[in-house]
Amino acid sequence: MRWLWWFLVMPQSFLLAGYLRDLGLPPIDMAVWSALYLAWFAQVPAVPMLLLGIALGRALIDQAPLPVHLLVVGVPVAVLLPFRALFVAQRWLWQALAAALLAVVIPKLSEVCAGMFDQAASGVSLDPWQVLWAALMLPPMLLASRFVPPFRAFTEPGELLPRVDS
Amino acid sequence: MLRKSAAFPVGLYAMLLFALAWLTLPALFAPLERWLLGAATAAPRMASLFLGQPASAATHDDLARVSDLRDELQRRVERQDFAAEGVKTPAGAQKLLCGVLSATRRGGGGRMSELLLDHSYAELAGCDRVVIKGDQMVGFLMEPGRGRAVDDELSDPARVMLCNHRDAPRLYAGIEFEGDADSSALRFVVRSGSSVDPAPLRVDIWDDPYRAAHLNSYGMEVRTRALQFGAGRFAVPAGLLLGRARVWGYEAGQAEDDLTIGVYVDPPFEPSALSYVVLWRRQISSREGLSSIRAHQRAAATVYDLPGARWGRHLIVTRAHVSDHAAVVQGGLLVGLARGLRFGSGLMTSFPASRRRWSLLLLQDDASAAVVEMSGVVERADGNVAWVRCQGPSRARMSALGEGFLFTGSNGRFCPSGLLIGRVTPDRQRPELLMVMAPRAPGPYAAEVLVAAEEAR
Repeated sequence: MRWLWWFLVMPQSFLLAGYLRDLGLPPIDMAVWSALYLAWFAQVPAVPMLLLGIALGRALIDQAPLPVHLLVVGVPVAVLLPFRALFVAQRWLWQALAAALLAVVIPKLSEVCAGMFDQAASGVSLDPWQVLWAALMLPPMLLASRFVPPFRAFTEPGELLPRVDS
Repeated sequence: MLRKSAAFPVGLYAMLLFALAWLTLPALFAPLERWLLGAATAAPRMASLFLGQPASAATHDDLARVSDLRDELQRRVERQDFAAEGVKTPAGAQKLLCGVLSATRRGGGGRMSELLLDHSYAELAGCDRVVIKGDQMVGFLMEPGRGRAVDDELSDPARVMLCNHRDAPRLYAGIEFEGDADSSALRFVVRSGSSVDPAPLRVDIWDDPYRAAHLNSYGMEVRTRALQFGAGRFAVPAGLLLGRARVWGYEAGQAEDDLTIGVYVDPPFEPSALSYVVLWRRQISSREGLSSIRAHQRAAATVYDLPGARWGRHLIVTRAHVSDHAAVVQGGLLVGLARGLRFGSGLMTSFPASRRRWSLLLLQDDASAAVVEMSGVVERADGNVAWVRCQGPSRARMSALGEGFLFTGSNGRFCPSGLLIGRVTPDRQRPELLMVMAPRAPGPYAAEVLVAAEEAR
């Protein structure tokens, strides 16, 4: 049931984010948000299929083919995931830095993948405002999203408990 | 356990490997992508009926002009591609204009070296093997069952090897020195260059190496010369333009001549920008059927705005099976390129929103100006205005371009040449950029999508 919920909601959330942006709200890069969620908080065995739902959402709004989106979101997740054990993921500074980093890396990776695989390049361009918004808004949004469906069903149990810093 | 799996997420790596395999064998996994994305568009399909901005369409005035502009384009293309001044054509030969579906396989100079035509080998039976364009030498028609085309059938789209193809025959050519005291032609043999050479063709054997070593000017025309014997299957008429010479060497000191170490030939066209080539047919055929390669039908489709998607990204609904990169048209106007999905849905990207490489034709307002073939990528867009970075024509030619209309060149089987894209204004500060304004008017509209003949209903 949680998978059905994920595949129903996640692709549409990319369109919803765009719709809210069109209404004048600050732009939220769903690819960055979801990549951070997968890297820091998601249950590791579920990550590959969660990634597929995210790639489907990105394929709705962007002309690059589905496997390119799998790589564009999946490669940063694969790089960040091992650091989950090393860093305290809930520290806001780390999350803000990672969000800003991904807001730069994901558009660049899209261009690289398009050139490498002779596919249509992604229309996403690097926007400094988007980087700033990602750094400021994504950490609190990540905090909130862990407790709402469909994210809650895939969040590591330890991340749902309030952390006591030593 | 958690830490170990986080440090080495096998499932994620497997998914990334799967994505790489998917990109390597796209045809194998295309049905899966159609199913997944088709299912994901179910909700937007419902939402499109109630939300979002209407998709862009063209006004009646715009559409009324399209037919006249397309006729003018076709007339000018035939005029310039059939013209071959100074070239001795076979007696009684009929010229046949063929569209180019794609350019593939890197050859000399790192450029594409094979063309796929929109005519089958069977349709081109009786044609000369030499393929030209105006007075330009393009390449040689391959023979099905021989050489590179050993696996091709008669019903397959014909392939042309360009002169920079590794299997292309060497050509006897020369440079004429007009007004020179030593005005005799410098003759030589031209062959395909290697992929790392600075130009697609290189000069191999000279009749006068001493004169060749003193070449130091750029841009001299290199034209084919007639062979009296030994031409065999690849008899090439004299006078065809192979390209312009590019001299490679070292600049010497003040008292010495420059040292020439190699001469290359730059063909006058960019293979990926070619939309049409011309063949000669010796036996005039009065009945030329429309092969399945060129047989399109137009299937009715409705274009909806996709709420939340970037500008120029739309949802199409049609009953027909839509191929990837099929043109969505309104009359003769290009609306965008489709990606066919399951469940009667498709996604469409308009020209300004696209980021793929296009083959393009520019029809300038000046009636005496030639149609310019080029390839281009949309660099940036603002609504229905796109700035296209073009390749193909020289910088000098790009600087001299006037205003006009941009059409599609050959962009695959389901996006033929001659679909109007929009009005073009050259950027005088940056000649390689063209500003293209696609027609736009508010209102949802019905469009058509090009599909295989058997798919239209």
